[in-house]
Amino acid sequence: MSIEWIEQVLQLTVQMGTVYLLASLGEIYAERSGVLNLGLEGMMLMGAATSFMFTLAYGHLSAILTSIIVGALMGLILSILVVDMKLNQVVVGLAMTMLGAGLSGFFTFPEVRKNLLLRLNPSLPEEVLLIQQAQKLPEIQIPLLSNIPVIGKMFFSHNLLVYFSFILSIAMWFILFKTRIGLTIRSVGENPSMADSLGVNVYMVRRMTVILSGVFASLAGAYFFIGFHPFWREGVTAGRGFIALALVILATWSPMRAILGAYLFGGVETFQYRLQLFGLGAQSPYFLAMLPYILTIMTLIIISTESIKKRIGAPASLGIPYAREE
Amino acid sequence: MEELVSLRGIIKHFPGVIANDNVSFTLRKGEIHALLGENGAGKTTLMNILYGLYRPDIGEIYVEGRKVEINSPKDAITLGIGMVHQNFKLIPSHTVLENIILGLKKSGLVIKSRKIGEEIKKLAESYGWRINPNAYVWQLTAGEKQQVELLKILYRDAKILILDEPTSVLTPQECRILLQALRRMAKEGKGIIFITHKLDEVFAISDRVTVMRKGRVLVTKETSETNMSELAQYMVGRPVIFTIEKKESRPSGEAITIKNLKAFNDKGVLALKDVNLKVMKNEIVGIIGVTGNGQQELVEVIAGLRKASGGSLIVDGVNIINSSPEKIIELGIAYIPPEPLRYGIAPNLTVLDNLFMKAYRYKPYSNGVIVNWKKIYNKAEELIREFQIVPENPYAKARSLSGGNLQRLILARELSGLIGEKIPRLIVAAYPTKGLDVGATEFVHKTLIEYSRKGSGILFVSEDIEEALMISDRVAVMHDGKIVRVFRPGEVDIDKIGLMMAGVEIAFK
Amino acid sequence: MAKTIIMPHSVKIKRRLHISRKLSILTTFSTLVLAFGVSGIFFAMIGLNPLDVYSYMVGVYTSPTLLLKALERAIPIGLAALGLSIAFRMNFWNIGAEGQMYMGMFASTGIVLLHAYYDLIPDYLVLLLMILASFVTGGLWCGLPAFLKAKMRVNEILTTLMMNYVAMYFVDFLIYGPWRDPKGYGFPLSIPFPEYAKLTMIFGEFAYSGLLLLCIAVALAVVILRYTKLGFELKIVGEGIDIARYAGIRITKVITLGGILSGGIAGLGGLAIVSGIIGRLRPRASPGYGYTAIIVILLSALNPWLVVPVSIFFGGIFVAGDILQATLKIPGAAVEMHQALIFLFIVVGEFLKRYKITITREVVR
Repeated sequence: MSIEWIEQVLQLTVQMGTVYLLASLGEIYAERSGVLNLGLEGMMLMGAATSFMFTLAYGHLSAILTSIIVGALMGLILSILVVDMKLNQVVVGLAMTMLGAGLSGFFTFPEVRKNLLLRLNPSLPEEVLLIQQAQKLPEIQIPLLSNIPVIGKMFFSHNLLVYFSFILSIAMWFILFKTRIGLTIRSVGENPSMADSLGVNVYMVRRMTVILSGVFASLAGAYFFIGFHPFWREGVTAGRGFIALALVILATWSPMRAILGAYLFGGVETFQYRLQLFGLGAQSPYFLAMLPYILTIMTLIIISTESIKKRIGAPASLGIPYAREE
Repeated sequence: MEELVSLRGIIKHFPGVIANDNVSFTLRKGEIHALLGENGAGKTTLMNILYGLYRPDIGEIYVEGRKVEINSPKDAITLGIGMVHQNFKLIPSHTVLENIILGLKKSGLVIKSRKIGEEIKKLAESYGWRINPNAYVWQLTAGEKQQVELLKILYRDAKILILDEPTSVLTPQECRILLQALRRMAKEGKGIIFITHKLDEVFAISDRVTVMRKGRVLVTKETSETNMSELAQYMVGRPVIFTIEKKESRPSGEAITIKNLKAFNDKGVLALKDVNLKVMKNEIVGIIGVTGNGQQELVEVIAGLRKASGGSLIVDGVNIINSSPEKIIELGIAYIPPEPLRYGIAPNLTVLDNLFMKAYRYKPYSNGVIVNWKKIYNKAEELIREFQIVPENPYAKARSLSGGNLQRLILARELSGLIGEKIPRLIVAAYPTKGLDVGATEFVHKTLIEYSRKGSGILFVSEDIEEALMISDRVAVMHDGKIVRVFRPGEVDIDKIGLMMAGVEIAFK
Repeated sequence: MAKTIIMPHSVKIKRRLHISRKLSILTTFSTLVLAFGVSGIFFAMIGLNPLDVYSYMVGVYTSPTLLLKALERAIPIGLAALGLSIAFRMNFWNIGAEGQMYMGMFASTGIVLLHAYYDLIPDYLVLLLMILASFVTGGLWCGLPAFLKAKMRVNEILTTLMMNYVAMYFVDFLIYGPWRDPKGYGFPLSIPFPEYAKLTMIFGEFAYSGLLLLCIAVALAVVILRYTKLGFELKIVGEGIDIARYAGIRITKVITLGGILSGGIAGLGGLAIVSGIIGRLRPRASPGYGYTAIIVILLSALNPWLVVPVSIFFGGIFVAGDILQATLKIPGAAVEMHQALIFLFIVVGEFLKRYKITITREVVR
């Protein structure tokens, strides 16, 4: 086990974890306000597909911007269905996941993609139209710091989105727990009728957090594709949206704890692939792949016990549509 | 004296009832005004109107002389009105400070928690309370939670405070602290409305008192110009003597014996402190008392729906305390729950389903695995006829039935001996006529008396003294988690009953 | 421009007290039409005539051979949906049919392998044992979250969802590792099932024997839900814990048992995949049948009888997807998109059924 190997594993851990971190940040806000967004996976796929197409057409910046817009749209649809129409969040969420998977696969199917790309940018050369990969986001090495042995690469050699996600999760933790906006969001998730009676617009708060969760999920998908694994295939995120959903629970709805959890999950996943190189059998990655889910189920059980529930339990109105009485 | 609030001619209907019938009420600056009445007298409805939770059908509201419209609690808060509900509206997983400032703009975008914390601390200290603004609400005692509720209001500079039965969750110690603080608030010029059904509290705290009964205001008086027995009379009302024909009861054997029963309520307060009572077969024992003195907990413990923390329930020499509801049903203990739509009826299921939701598992309706729906259907038709349930369709959804028919449905299920074809040994009926019209009420009375004469023992809990006196063979007065006295109807003067219900000790001749 | 302000959207939404059967069928039908319409827009966007696409789809249900294929697909979907009918009846949001199917596949393959290595029982008992094992294993996979829900109120939506992935990766682990066929040239496949371990052994054609299994399961679900004590108890628990306690029902027992039955029937769906459609175990053997089952059971309004036609309808959509991909070069993802749209529109339809929406034009000032 060489130093380079360790450095690389650590670097990949953070980069992998960033996918989960980004997606979970928005979901934390949505769930804190009482809405379970089970459509995360579909929204991630939409983000990945959008970033794929737009990177080919106009480059990275346009890819990130459009994936944010697409995510916001998906979030908006979800919010209309579950916040305003008060439909069952589980059913609608699953439908959104299927829709995202379907649409992203549909539009990136080679024949369809070729046409779409030409419409987006008619000057694209023929060979770009059918390639299955896109250019990766450049890594920005922070001078000196990135040369620190062992941890240098882990912390200081990434693309912009990785740094951004790290700073963002601290900012979002601060907003959630230290500002009036955060207090409003959390109160809506705990006791919407009381928040309503104190003049909080429950519906608006929930709409906003759901749209935010769409934006972040889509951004996470875009990051996953152009920042980590720029090789397209249908369903490229492979269930990572559900891992992000698990992460929200493991982090017990805190953006700060989500950082740790994200890198834990990222580490587990990185390890899965690295272990094969040691000849520990081709099956080992799948065994490790169960780990995040098992950890999450155990977390769920622990936070359901009475003494812990009141401290860090799930938001009290999670999954329950709010309808004003009368 | 300056008037803070004036409610004029308030009328409020709910489907089937008049909750407030032309009610007028005033609150002066610097006074503590007790609003006294039994449960269901319309006190809470009136205050919910003032707090914007309901809108009156007719009537005007004036705050500090200006006519206002209060459409939501938000409006009320803006007008300087604050209300502490019986069930605290606090978020347990948030801190005291967070609970207090929710919805307030002046807290700053980034919450200035140090500054606000200091303010809250100081405010609390001015009333003699010690509150840590950064403590989580789930860590607090009931008394402290109430202080947080009050701070929430005071921090918004409310001038008008409404407290809905604030002492019901407090220990005597906490009560004293609360009353002291309230007096200080009144001295500062705030007006306080104190909803209660406890007479002693009226005299301990209030400057004026308004008594409500059946949706109307009977009297408003300076507290110093009245006395307990006068208020008790207003509250309970003069009995209109109804008579009902019933045969003399011949008690034969015990239906149940309750010994030293203790249990906690949902809020973790000891609600049954030491209940002792015997119900014989062939008799009706009425339980009267102001609501919230442990009646609900008592019936729930007997039905197996609430864990007792001590004591015993003896049936045929066996202690059945804390048995499962299933076991208790099998012993022949029938239970007519309060608020049937919440506890006793599944509204989305059919009449047939509701009739047989207990009996389906016993012979002859089931052989242990398979349910015999044909037998059930035939029996259901029979019961619908016998108990005159309308509509006569066993497959009608329960939600489509009127209140009276729902109660008939429950009676049919509980009394008709669906289990083992016997009549129940004990029928626990909690407020079985509440909200029913005259005809339905009469039906319930007649049916209960009929079953008592057939051999069932009946425990009949009522809010209505006249009703209890009329149909019971013996009456037990419940106060503060205890049975204070058992007597036969006619033995005790109605005024004295009112005083006993209010917790005043009375020496008997 | 007119000076009066017209407020076109004074929308009033009221809950309907009574939903007529006519309204219900009409809404479901029109939402289906709408879903097809929207899919059609997407097809048109890529230059296809939607009517062509639909005619291929309809073709699936009119051609005997294709219908048979649709029927094959319908069997695991239908079994999973029947399982859900039990969980949903008690208001237990089991979204783990997918995982319960994987556990069914695991168990039935396990029996085949045990038999292949140790040969402890006669051949003719193998299939019976597989049925039992997949039922029990799938049942436990749902019984556990059910028990946790009953005892500790652990959110079943999240546990069943998470357990889907545990099951899926567990099967991956086995098939890439100890259960890989040594003669399989390194492909992640189990040994092919011998004939006596396949569902085809009854009628020679999986569609028929599978249909028999499905019908038995429908009968089972109907009997459980309508005629047994447990079925009635599930219904009451579904109405709320308070009322069930009042009725003297043993809640933990009922919820756990309901969970086991629900997962067990879904587990049979897993058996149908490996022992019927594929004939061996391979990774990701279910293309999301467990999720499709949720749509199926909701569209069937929890009625087991309706599950059969509705799952054949969805089985047909899967088959149509394969055909469209081959003939019209329509991406496979179109199936998923189409299903999702049907799903979404059904859910919105539920809203329209429950509420009455009136839009009035009001002139303000």
